[in-house]
Amino acid sequence: MIWVETIVNGILYGGLYGLLGVGLALIVGVMRVVNLSHGEFIVLSAFIGVSLVGVFPSVHPLVLLLPVAVIAFALGFALQAVLINRVVTRPDPFAAILLTFGVAVVMRNLMVEIYGADLRHLQAGRLAQASTGIGSLQVGVLPLLILALSVVLFTALQLLLTRTRFGRIVRATADHRDVVRLMGVNPGRVYNLVMGLSLALASVAGMLLAIRASFSPYSGVERLLVSFEVVVLGGLGTFWGAMLGGITLGVAELVGLRLDPNAGPLYAHLLFLAGVLLRPNGLFRVRT
Amino acid sequence: MTLLDVQALDAFYGDFQALFGVTLRVDAGETVALIGANGAGKTTFLKSLVGLLDHRRGEIRFAGEAIAGEPAERISRLGLSLVPEGRLLFPSLTVEENLLMGALNRRPGAWNLARVYELFPILRERRRQSPNALSGGQQHMVAIGRALMSNPKLLLCDEISLGLAPLVVDQIYESLGRIRAEGASIVLVEQDVKRAAGAADRVYCLLKGRVTLHGQARGLGLEQLSRAYFGT
Amino acid sequence: MALVAAPWLVGEGAQRFLSEAMLMLAMAQMWNLLAGYAGLVSMGQQVFVGLGAYCLFFSSIWLKVAPFWVLPLAPLLCAIVAAIVALFMFRLREAYFAIGTWVFSEVVSLMISKTERLGGERGVGLPTARLVDPRWLEPLTFWISAAIAVAAVFGTWALLRSRVGLGLMTVRDNDVAAASIGVDVWRNRFIAFVIAAAGCGLAGAVSFTATLYVAPGFAFDPNWVVAMMIIVIIGGIGTLEGPIVGTIIYFALREVLTVVFGLSAGWYLIGLGLVAIAAILFEPDGLWPLIRGRLGGDWLSVRREPPTPVMIAVAGTAAEGVRSSSPGLGVTRSDG
Repeated sequence: MIWVETIVNGILYGGLYGLLGVGLALIVGVMRVVNLSHGEFIVLSAFIGVSLVGVFPSVHPLVLLLPVAVIAFALGFALQAVLINRVVTRPDPFAAILLTFGVAVVMRNLMVEIYGADLRHLQAGRLAQASTGIGSLQVGVLPLLILALSVVLFTALQLLLTRTRFGRIVRATADHRDVVRLMGVNPGRVYNLVMGLSLALASVAGMLLAIRASFSPYSGVERLLVSFEVVVLGGLGTFWGAMLGGITLGVAELVGLRLDPNAGPLYAHLLFLAGVLLRPNGLFRVRT
Repeated sequence: MTLLDVQALDAFYGDFQALFGVTLRVDAGETVALIGANGAGKTTFLKSLVGLLDHRRGEIRFAGEAIAGEPAERISRLGLSLVPEGRLLFPSLTVEENLLMGALNRRPGAWNLARVYELFPILRERRRQSPNALSGGQQHMVAIGRALMSNPKLLLCDEISLGLAPLVVDQIYESLGRIRAEGASIVLVEQDVKRAAGAADRVYCLLKGRVTLHGQARGLGLEQLSRAYFGT
Repeated sequence: MALVAAPWLVGEGAQRFLSEAMLMLAMAQMWNLLAGYAGLVSMGQQVFVGLGAYCLFFSSIWLKVAPFWVLPLAPLLCAIVAAIVALFMFRLREAYFAIGTWVFSEVVSLMISKTERLGGERGVGLPTARLVDPRWLEPLTFWISAAIAVAAVFGTWALLRSRVGLGLMTVRDNDVAAASIGVDVWRNRFIAFVIAAAGCGLAGAVSFTATLYVAPGFAFDPNWVVAMMIIVIIGGIGTLEGPIVGTIIYFALREVLTVVFGLSAGWYLIGLGLVAIAAILFEPDGLWPLIRGRLGGDWLSVRREPPTPVMIAVAGTAAEGVRSSSPGLGVTRSDG
């Protein structure tokens, strides 16, 4: 029984991992850039959440998801417009990686200077502890909420990309950056919006993760690795694949922790490496 | 009335000069053919017109406005539309979505989705498919349709007959007739001299980046064209 | 020669500083070999630094000999691990390879943290260091570090002037074209990866010998590769002199920011990060090409000139070899 519960909880948190990764998958798919500061922005969102909670103590953290997401969107937009757009057109595929790596280093150490290196936690009050029965299983209410939110956001993203004019423009820009210019589209501006969206999604995941687990300015590395593993396992740039990839990792990690409480993310990483070895194109090739 | 006026255009890829002092004119309502062998600079020329080539010298005036050096996004709003070499359709979009992309810059005019489907009925049938599922000729139709959706004053066609069976090319060129009837001017860039010269009012010939011949299509003999084309 | 004499001329503190700098230079050269010449951006290079250190510590402890005797084992272990890792990491391209190596590093770090026999999370000291005469510990470390740095620079230079090097540079410039003319892309990259791993392992081993303590958090700290990357980016990627310039700047900046301005280590990393960002935006080739432009002449050039007709004629009669050609290195030649 305890195993089924573990697996179910793994699935629920896997939704969260999927959410962590989908922002990265989005920009990889659209502009072929791996944002190495993705993890740092996830952690920064959590810190902003903590700060906002300090300013508005009577507001529940979950309500703060929206303002933090808006802030993250603005930051992503700025990051792309000011920095990344300058290297995205270069033929060298590493320029963007190195640039965002530099941004990550700066952000990480700035956060240490500003917030200190201690571990923090985002308190969700009773909600974090509450659990409910589903059939004969005890499942946490918060994980259920998180999964539901993840599914909603994934679906919304999917709809945005396939059913709206904006989505059409994004997909076209991802296909042929120069040809869309012939139709009056400025690819740089599209990228700005996409990066904003990417970080907004990441910020939601960051806040939710901060409720579940403690974090410090150094947690960005782990968040980045998880996000990245989700993207690769899911099949590089597909979205539902990322969700499934996240779930796989979530299950692997929780099962692993039950077997071996000191393992941390070890089993998730091992699964990733195994996946790379066996199916380098991703475990789930789901076409968007 | 002169629609497109290009004066002494030089174009560069890095240090490599691809066009040398190209001068060309298109009047409203005309169809002008630009012929030349592979590598003569035809596509380079079109790219310079639409703003996709940064390194150039010389003047380009479209509908009275100087457009040399303007970004492609801005030029596209003035009524200049390109059917690119190789079609360059968006594989992640359906046929219909590809056409709709062309409508982003829509100017008032006769062309809309319904009219494009009238022109190329096969596209209506396949409108929800990915362009990759279409034949070469059908893809050309999508590319032309996409360019038409903005109701351009000047339609630039880069090698629209390339790789197609003669019957299909007939179809495509027939559609050009109807496009012309709606008032658009056309620049036809082709390697196929007969086709292009047959459909055009005037012809320019490019060789290694220079204009080697221009004149009324009807007045040009085969030998003249050959010399200009091959440089012998 | 100055290097040999140094331990008698400068104090222990300065020796330690210079050792650290030279080991860092060696590591940066390795990272440069990978990224600048083999086209492999490795963000997990710290795994070899750590493995080298752990290898040294435990072989020294278990065999009960002074650490310097088992030094060669460190690069050997790293080379073997690298060879195995390459087998599956090379399936990933570009950014995916970069992060994949990082994941591998985390895995190794986590596994060692869980293994009590290897010191677990707390790590271990180096009791066998007592087997070395304390008066010679610092100078020996210094000389070995200097030797490693020199070997790294000139070894890389020699490698790049060899067939393997030529192969590497064609791969870097255009791997599809390289493959089409018969260059074994995989094999050349493999060799570079293994050598870089061995180099970092050796440097890591000596580095931790100096601190006499190793723990997973320090050994596998991503900041190792951060430093390597920043040095190479600022100094000049894809050149041999670049990492030298970069190392000088790195340490100069560190000393200025921490000693002169009294800032904490965090601020100097921020400063370095900003400089690296600026470098990528405005001078992606690094500072060395700028400096070289001013000074003129190549110092450690691995560039090859295409033979001119005159030279061919001369070579036919003279003993002087003709330098053979290599496709464009992406560096504008004003002095070539």
